[in-house]
Amino acid sequence: ITEEAVTTRENTFFLSECFFPAAPELPIVERNWLIHQHYLRKDYETCKVIIKNQLQETNGMCEYAIYVQALILRLEGRIQESLELLQSCTILNPSSTDNLKQVARSLFLLGKHKAAIEVYHEAARLCDKDWEISHNLGVCFFFIKDFKHAEEHLNAALQINKHDKTFMMLGKVHLVAGETDKAIEVFKRAVEFSPENTEHLSTLGLLYLQLGKYQKAFEHLGNALTFDPNNYKAILAAGSMMQTHGDFDVAMNKYRVAACAVPESPPLWNNIGMCFFGKKKYVAAISCLKRAHYLSPFDWKVLYNLGLVHLTMQQYASAFHFLSAAISLNPRMGELYMLLAVALTNLEDVENSTRAYEQAVNLDESNPLVNLNFAIFLYNHGDKTGALDQYQEMQRKVNILQDSSSSFEFDPELMDMAQKMGAALQVGESLQWTKAGKDSKSKPHSAALAKNPSTPLGTNQALGQAMSSAASYNKNIQLPAGTVASQQSLRNKQWQDFV
Amino acid sequence: MTSVESGADGGRWLDAHYDPVAGLYTFSSCVDLADLSGDGENRLVVGDLGTGSSGMKLKVYRGTALMSENTLLDLPAGLVAFFMDLHEPRIPTIAVASGPCIYLYKNLRPYFKFTLPSLEVNALEQDVWQQAREGQIDPLTLKEMLESIRKKADVPLSIRSLRFLSLEADDLDEFVQLHKQQPIKRQTVITCIDTLKKSTADEDGVSCLVVGTESSDVFILDSKAFIILSKMSLPAPPTMMDVTGQFDVEFRITAACRNGNIYILRRESDKPKYSVELSSHPVGLVRVGKNVLVGCTDESLQGFTQKGKKLWKIVLPAPITTMAPMDLPTRGFQGVLVGLANCEVYLYRDKNLLSTIKTPDVVTSICFGRYGREDGTLIMTTKGGGLMVKILKRTAVFDDRDSAPGPPLAQSIRLNVPKKTKLYVDQTLRERESGVAMHRAFQMDLSRVRLAATKAYVKALESSLTPMSASLSEPLKMNAVVQGLGPSFKLTLHIQNTAACRPVMNLAISFLYDEKLYRIRDPYMRIPLLVPGLIYPVGTFVDCTNDKGVADIIKVFVLHEGKSSPLLTAHINMPVSEGLAS
Repeated sequence: ITEEAVTTRENTFFLSECFFPAAPELPIVERNWLIHQHYLRKDYETCKVIIKNQLQETNGMCEYAIYVQALILRLEGRIQESLELLQSCTILNPSSTDNLKQVARSLFLLGKHKAAIEVYHEAARLCDKDWEISHNLGVCFFFIKDFKHAEEHLNAALQINKHDKTFMMLGKVHLVAGETDKAIEVFKRAVEFSPENTEHLSTLGLLYLQLGKYQKAFEHLGNALTFDPNNYKAILAAGSMMQTHGDFDVAMNKYRVAACAVPESPPLWNNIGMCFFGKKKYVAAISCLKRAHYLSPFDWKVLYNLGLVHLTMQQYASAFHFLSAAISLNPRMGELYMLLAVALTNLEDVENSTRAYEQAVNLDESNPLVNLNFAIFLYNHGDKTGALDQYQEMQRKVNILQDSSSSFEFDPELMDMAQKMGAALQVGESLQWTKAGKDSKSKPHSAALAKNPSTPLGTNQALGQAMSSAASYNKNIQLPAGTVASQQSLRNKQWQDFV
Repeated sequence: MTSVESGADGGRWLDAHYDPVAGLYTFSSCVDLADLSGDGENRLVVGDLGTGSSGMKLKVYRGTALMSENTLLDLPAGLVAFFMDLHEPRIPTIAVASGPCIYLYKNLRPYFKFTLPSLEVNALEQDVWQQAREGQIDPLTLKEMLESIRKKADVPLSIRSLRFLSLEADDLDEFVQLHKQQPIKRQTVITCIDTLKKSTADEDGVSCLVVGTESSDVFILDSKAFIILSKMSLPAPPTMMDVTGQFDVEFRITAACRNGNIYILRRESDKPKYSVELSSHPVGLVRVGKNVLVGCTDESLQGFTQKGKKLWKIVLPAPITTMAPMDLPTRGFQGVLVGLANCEVYLYRDKNLLSTIKTPDVVTSICFGRYGREDGTLIMTTKGGGLMVKILKRTAVFDDRDSAPGPPLAQSIRLNVPKKTKLYVDQTLRERESGVAMHRAFQMDLSRVRLAATKAYVKALESSLTPMSASLSEPLKMNAVVQGLGPSFKLTLHIQNTAACRPVMNLAISFLYDEKLYRIRDPYMRIPLLVPGLIYPVGTFVDCTNDKGVADIIKVFVLHEGKSSPLLTAHINMPVSEGLAS
């Protein structure tokens, strides 16, 4: 009996369970950690599958799954969809700054900067000391060209927490606003904060280069190259500085690295070409310059250099074409007209040559060489008074240059030629090129000429010298031009980054 | 890095085992090595995520063979082997964290299940459900009230309420009836787990468990009584942790969180002592000595001091998939292994790359330690589910390369300067000799070309031969389209008035053609008033009356009434008629 009683009791217990069904345990299906793990590993396909399952199980109520889904959509370029998902996230959880930040980010990517700023401000109300919000506000203000606010917010971001990105952005803001000195201060702080950041180092180096502080520029570019020997920007800038100092082999070594990294860079091939030119390997120089020209057909600097090399090679007809092409791209540069005039002189086109020289003299403001070459040309064609005028103009320019900086060095060939010219015009002694040593060197020359003042300069030889003087002097002024080329194109690159 | 010699790992590793179809889906946090039977031979314990939704298993490998398998109830978020008591023989316990529970296995048998304490439930939510239970409010009101609570409350709603809110109106009542009797619970899940020595630093000392949860908390659990020794909170859910020290003395928990920051917790405080803001999410977190190395999603590896000060940052060639420490105490070696998405594993000591290992697939988890009786064993699982075991050769040395890698390899590559041909050189010489003549000839020809072009242009203008009219009063543009195979063609003329605002009127079209060849239906057409900018199609039919397969030009003239010279002229090259003449 007892046994039976027990079984009935068990039965009733069982029955009662059937009668009052226990509520099923609601499973906790939050697998946010798994979604996050896959998201971090950039395994977006798996991520999407897990998100889909999770959203199915929760009827679309899982905030984090939607959040990550939106981020993935944004990475895939479907920004509008991501924005909609993120907005639904903010409805699910209106107090989350992360959601607001991402909504703002999507708005920003859609180019709705003002809307993004509003949302960021809203996020900032929820959480006031957030580096990311301040930084992104700064970026948004930068894009709507409100540099004052941009600067304010970026500085605020830097006060909360220092990040390389913020320094870079603040520097850009200053550069675009035209405040180079402030930009330099920012990059100095940036370099102090992270001394191994090559981007900061090379940008700072380039800024110093623009200001003509070559020592500092080289220091920073060198540091950038120490940490990243493949830094294209730094290689190009440092290489062109080496070129200016005649270190062609070292510069070439650097360029080889850059040529591997960026084989289709016009300024790089331009600079390589001028390295070969400096080493008197003219055919190689022409090959490289032509490649630069092929890569960037509308770059007048490359055409200028091609013209110069062809003049040196005595290929005047080709030089004429390159120079006239350069002039049509950049019609406001005296030196180009002067080179064109030299080419025309050699092509025996006196009339056009004279006109080119006149144009050159009109446009040029500081280069004594233009006047010297014109003076020689006039003298050779029998116009002594005109030659004298040009010679005096040259003297004026030389004096200005000497006054502006005492250490200004003139090309010896230019000085030599000027001395000869002065002697021929019987005004040679009046011009003091530099102090001490140079004088003693130049005196015998002028003396020799003074003895025979009627020596005609109009021989082909003398003209050839004037020409080569022009060429070699130009080689020197050209190299900074090459530097400018590299800098400018780099600046263009930065511009593209901004936009 | 270019400076690493070819054969990257330099023959330092022996390939012990590779099973490409082991079918393992796991992370570094779910892999551990432990001497599970106390015989001095370490086993490999893997928490396998199965398919990601089912088939989760706890797998134990011995040597190259799978030794045992236990089914897991939920996805394992982490797995650790640790000593929970002082019993002899010293056999470690395995703790598997999944969902809100920690499952403990002793001798590979389920031993104990610990569930995290439930979270505080929103008081308002409780009230509302209470009212629902007592029948004071209907499900719809309940839904509305819960909705308003969700929007305002600091304490999030329970799973039940969230589920309820996501239901359709028809299912609400049933759901309330089913669940209203149960107390409301709010449960969190574990996101990461680690161990912390209790009081001694000994290898086989008793450890506590450190658990990070979705609710942004960190719990330290006593492994004997399973009570919470300490609770700390973070600003965001932790994703990875590194724990060092002893609970009773001093410890430090470095936790990487889902908001992309790293927080450092210490014994004294339940709030983070230091924090590191990263510019991208951390994928891996490994402590080497006193420094913390963090691998980030922006393909960088960064070093920090234990106070969170940034030391260095290096850029990697591919995204990081996983990271693990490599400790060889017998040799005093400490490094970090970094698995990359380009099928390579890099070994770093601080910021110096010591060696690279090529793998046949992307590595998803790495574990280095004693396996079997071999101290330096590297165990990796791959994305395709493979299992790989490598043994470090006893003769292998990792010499610290100089951190300055010297000139890059590219520097010795010759520049690809295009060569010039003999022809080029000859031409150069020719130009040198007779440059003047060449120049003059060129200039002369150029002038002639210009002259010829100008003449032709003037002629065209004078006789209005162009399809563009440049006259100021009637600037017109016309183009013609011929459609059809013949003998009948459709000729459509599109005429546009290009003036800014003035309309043109009184125009007519006439044709000049060989009447033996063609017949045009409307040889004279009047053009309507032309509104500026619009394109007016004017069409007619042309029949070819000749079947000899010849074609001719039809000239179209646009004329102004009362003027004899045309405004513009178009020459239409008619196609050969391919059909038979009618």
